[in-house]
Amino acid sequence: MPANMGNGRPMKNKIKVFRAMYDLTQEDLAQAIGVTRQTILAIEKGKYVPSLELAFRIARYFKVNIEEVFTYDAEARTVDER
Amino acid sequence: MKKNTFYLMAGCIALVLLAVFWYSVEVHNPLFIEIAFVVGIVGAYLARKRVTDLIEDERSAKITEQAVLRTFQVFWVGFCAISIGAVMQILYVPQFPREIFFTRPPEILSPRMMGYFQLGLLCLTIFLYVGFRMYYARKYGEWETDEE
Repeated sequence: MPANMGNGRPMKNKIKVFRAMYDLTQEDLAQAIGVTRQTILAIEKGKYVPSLELAFRIARYFKVNIEEVFTYDAEARTVDER
Repeated sequence: MKKNTFYLMAGCIALVLLAVFWYSVEVHNPLFIEIAFVVGIVGAYLARKRVTDLIEDERSAKITEQAVLRTFQVFWVGFCAISIGAVMQILYVPQFPREIFFTRPPEILSPRMMGYFQLGLLCLTIFLYVGFRMYYARKYGEWETDEE
């Protein structure tokens, strides 16, 4: 299954945590990076895994490395593939 | 252009196309509706590009892409199966030497009706697309509720 399907949910993210740190609403973040609020919500809930470009844009916005916002759980993927 | 203006415009295009269709039927000239259809669709595409309050990000593009792909995957199989059947009927010639009990294979749909049937299939595709779109929109969190 392609990585951006978001079904197995091996990709975790801390967008919600960073939003709280920066006191941002989903709408604020969405406008800042040029997506819809629904996309931010879907990413936070693990329903949608963003493209590498969008992931970088989010990380850059919070001025952190991409790994600090997004983590890849290899075990979750292995369990999902079984 | 606002989103609602575009929807109104699309409705007007559809009405005009319907009128042209019946005019073509009246004058027995399919060229009118064929040209009008292409012009109408191109016009709708161009108008859509001018919509300013319609935000399309990668997730909505992904939903559309997946829905179109699945619709096409289902549609072409059904459409080809029916069309091949129609071609078989058109290509049918009696065998030689003739069978003692000559029986023509049953005609499922006459070539005349086939056009209507294919048009009906195309219309059904719209419903198929809407169904797939709703499925993928739900899958990618379109109607997720927010806890904020």
